[in-house]
Amino acid sequence: MKIHRFARPAVIAAAAVTLVAAACSNTSSTSSSSGSTSGGFQGTALNGAGSTFAQPLYQLWSQSFLQKEPDAQINYQPIGSGGGIEQFTAETVDFGATDVPLQSDEIGNLPNQNYIEFPTALGAVVFAYNVQGVDTPLKLDGTTISDIFLGNVTKWNDAEITSQNPGVNLPDESIQVVHRSDESGTTAVWTGWLSAESPEWASKVGADKAVQWPVGTGASGNDGVASGISQTDGGAGYLSYDFAVTADLGVADIKAPDGDYVAPSIDSISKAGGGLTFPIKSDTTIINSSTKGAYPVASTTYVLIYTDQTDQSIAQTLVDFWTWSLTDGQSQTEQINYAPLPSDFAKDALKEVAKINVNGTPVTPTSPTG
Amino acid sequence: MATIGVPPHADAPAALLTRRRRFGDRAFRWTTLVVSVGLVVMLALLLWVLADGGWRAIREFGLHFVIGRDWNPVAGRETYGALPFIFGTAVTSLIAMVLAMPIGVGVALFLNESGAGWIKNPLAVLVDLLAAIPSVVYGLWGLFVLVPLFDHTVEPWLSASVGKVPVVGGLFRYQGPGGDMFTAGVILAIMILPIVTAVTREVVSVVSTDTREAAMALGATRYETIRLGVLPTARPGIVGAGMLGLGRALGETIAVALVIGNSTNISASLFKSGYTIPAVIANEFREATSAGVHRSALLFLALLLVLIALGMASVSRLLVRRTARMMGDDVAAQEEAAASTLGLA
Amino acid sequence: MSATVSTFEMPRTISSQRRTKDRLFSIALWTSVVIALIPLLLIVYRVVRLGVAAISVNLFAHTALPASLPGGGLKQAFLGTAMIVGLAIAFSVPLGVLTGIYLAEYGSGRIAAVVRFTAEILLSIPSIVAGAFIWALVVVALGNFSALAAGIALTVLMWPIMARATEEVLRLVPTELREGGLALGYPRWRVIMRIVLPTAGAGVFTAIMLAVARGLGETAPVLLTALGNDFVSTNPLKPTDAVPLRVYNYAQSAYPAWRALAWGGALMLLVGVLVLSVTARMLSIRQQRRMR
Repeated sequence: MKIHRFARPAVIAAAAVTLVAAACSNTSSTSSSSGSTSGGFQGTALNGAGSTFAQPLYQLWSQSFLQKEPDAQINYQPIGSGGGIEQFTAETVDFGATDVPLQSDEIGNLPNQNYIEFPTALGAVVFAYNVQGVDTPLKLDGTTISDIFLGNVTKWNDAEITSQNPGVNLPDESIQVVHRSDESGTTAVWTGWLSAESPEWASKVGADKAVQWPVGTGASGNDGVASGISQTDGGAGYLSYDFAVTADLGVADIKAPDGDYVAPSIDSISKAGGGLTFPIKSDTTIINSSTKGAYPVASTTYVLIYTDQTDQSIAQTLVDFWTWSLTDGQSQTEQINYAPLPSDFAKDALKEVAKINVNGTPVTPTSPTG
Repeated sequence: MATIGVPPHADAPAALLTRRRRFGDRAFRWTTLVVSVGLVVMLALLLWVLADGGWRAIREFGLHFVIGRDWNPVAGRETYGALPFIFGTAVTSLIAMVLAMPIGVGVALFLNESGAGWIKNPLAVLVDLLAAIPSVVYGLWGLFVLVPLFDHTVEPWLSASVGKVPVVGGLFRYQGPGGDMFTAGVILAIMILPIVTAVTREVVSVVSTDTREAAMALGATRYETIRLGVLPTARPGIVGAGMLGLGRALGETIAVALVIGNSTNISASLFKSGYTIPAVIANEFREATSAGVHRSALLFLALLLVLIALGMASVSRLLVRRTARMMGDDVAAQEEAAASTLGLA
Repeated sequence: MSATVSTFEMPRTISSQRRTKDRLFSIALWTSVVIALIPLLLIVYRVVRLGVAAISVNLFAHTALPASLPGGGLKQAFLGTAMIVGLAIAFSVPLGVLTGIYLAEYGSGRIAAVVRFTAEILLSIPSIVAGAFIWALVVVALGNFSALAAGIALTVLMWPIMARATEEVLRLVPTELREGGLALGYPRWRVIMRIVLPTAGAGVFTAIMLAVARGLGETAPVLLTALGNDFVSTNPLKPTDAVPLRVYNYAQSAYPAWRALAWGGALMLLVGVLVLSVTARMLSIRQQRRMR
């Protein structure tokens, strides 16, 4: 049967489009790389997915890493920590990203129990708000914040808030709570802290990547929450520190276990990281650190990679990228409001990355990194 | 017009010609048949895949899936009650219908019955353009224009006015800024307006001129002609148009997800944030684990959604055809279906 | 009164009450027209105003960049959409046209009635359902998100459109043409392929444009099947970006630079579907005139 008239042009059109796309991608598709490409391993495309908290960092890192390995197009899609774990389990991505360590049932679901899990940077979950006339950071403790999210405290001039903030002119305005609508590691960290601070929260709601929020509207991703708060008078919610800074929202000083109110900053976040060690367990956490001056709701974010790889290029790129991230990449964290890992701990993380192998042969990083 | 030459082998022996032609004809016909049946197979496969995937959720939760109010995907505490989504879908679609039907029928009648000829074609083109706007563009506009407008102006005003009326007022209690079901309903109304208009137009145009001229001969005003002559015959078709619009409203995902607030509430106030079935599928699908029941629950919701949408489309088709057949004209019925296809796409 | 009935003399006595009702009715119709047009004008105005501000060489020449770096664009999204829609066309045009041919040329029996019914109700299928279906079928089978899966998901939506539209334009071709071809000794299939289909050619092309206009703007099926990509991807078996998907994500982001890009992408989508729809409509009007 002859291919009829319109199938042929349609197929040619589709083929032409694909060819054009191929031609376009051969020319440099990003800002020109000025780094040295000494003719060594050029890298290959990778796909990762997960935490929205880590999105700005991983996307910056992948752009920077293109200078070292121009073909290493590392596509990171922020679909939430839950999504990262699910796609990692389904093996549809080369690495997963999550803000909360794998829990025992999630580990049980993995098709392959040989994987590595290591933190890449430190961050924090902050209480952000958009209240007219409040220019200095509000001081709040865990009980008050829990009451806000429980719906027990509904107005900005409630006694619980004003008692901790004498002299601040708080309006008689409703608190519009914004929370996450997707499964999120940021949520897990935040609700974990709320559960530790408020027995009422712990029993009524609990801690996890997604919970039944008593009050508030849902937004997708850290940026959805930031967007939601900034567009709403009296809006308040929790989100990662870097998003709060970028969105120019008010950020509260939170009461630490020792009674001081600590503002989130690179410094106070870094102080919280001292407790991290390997192996990473399901309940590994750095909230309410006992170090003086540490921000109470600090968090970290993890990368998940199966150690037994089959594709040499992919494995090499994975090793090179994450080695670079744990060394040179750490210096880029502060410029976008993340804190670097403690340097000793970063060295331990490198040992995890060294476990990646292809058919039994360990994969070593391409070039020595300083 | 294609030039038609003499076919090859025109003077070949009759027996050879017949056999070759028969084979070619049979192969061609068979190919088109197989492909066409493939369409039906695809639908069957779709239903089966969703049912197969969703089976687990039904087995574990049964009826509670449809009447339960708690939706908790967290491992260890999993419970799936889809009532908030069913509620949100129903409410937003209802709002869309209440707003879109009168306006859609009005525009359709205007296009068909009004005398001002110069405006008809441009207007029809403009309504078609409304149909062509992608859902994500509606959502983007809804998020940045409609939501603030409703939050700061429309909803407080409605709450202060209609909200004070006893009983009904409870629907219009202002709940604070953020997306809500009312805004979603309005966006849906705009989105389904073109379908309602297009199908109503075709249905109304099929009503023969005889009926109209008879009414006018009896001295009816245009209003009376339409109300007494055209509409009663067209009514099944208009209901069909409404069902088609309703089906579209039920299934709309992206625009709604951006303006509805994404909270599992069931509340009396339309100004409260809510959730719909398509929106929850879109938001949660990529993170739903296959280990627990989450993914299965979402697939079952997809199955529910498609059964309802296809059911509406089936009934709508019957009703629209019925109006045409009442006019005794099957060709017209087909032409109307053609026009509505082009209008729908 | 109305201009349609020309010769008959209207009775002169219409009570003022009836006349008022008629007037009110006219007003109601005009009002509904105005109400219907307001959102269209508002949307187009806003998208054009904010989208034009984002139009620059960057939009087309640069790929996505993190919000912390300036100069990002949507290049990978445009190319991704082209690939996905290209695949969808490659699948749905042959499938749709063959189905349309069956329904128009051989379509009087029971089977054809079932196929026709299926095609028509499939026009109303929620696009998210198509996405979930193809996710379960293709993404799971292939082991990853891909442009191919997204293209197949769009095919689920575009096939019924192509089938019904092709059937209708083929039906409009006069039977005399078919009879003439058969009388000359052409086998049936050649009559269809060489005479009927080319005659309806513009109509089929219109159908393709309408189907593409639909597929171009679909976000939900792509959301579940393509994952998204910050880079240009030429491998149909790997994740890819798409304009509606990127607009959807950027719309919810907290960065003004990304939101500006979202408006730019929305404008391009609007331009694309409007050009296709208007062209299709003009072609179809011309085609119908030819057929009369």
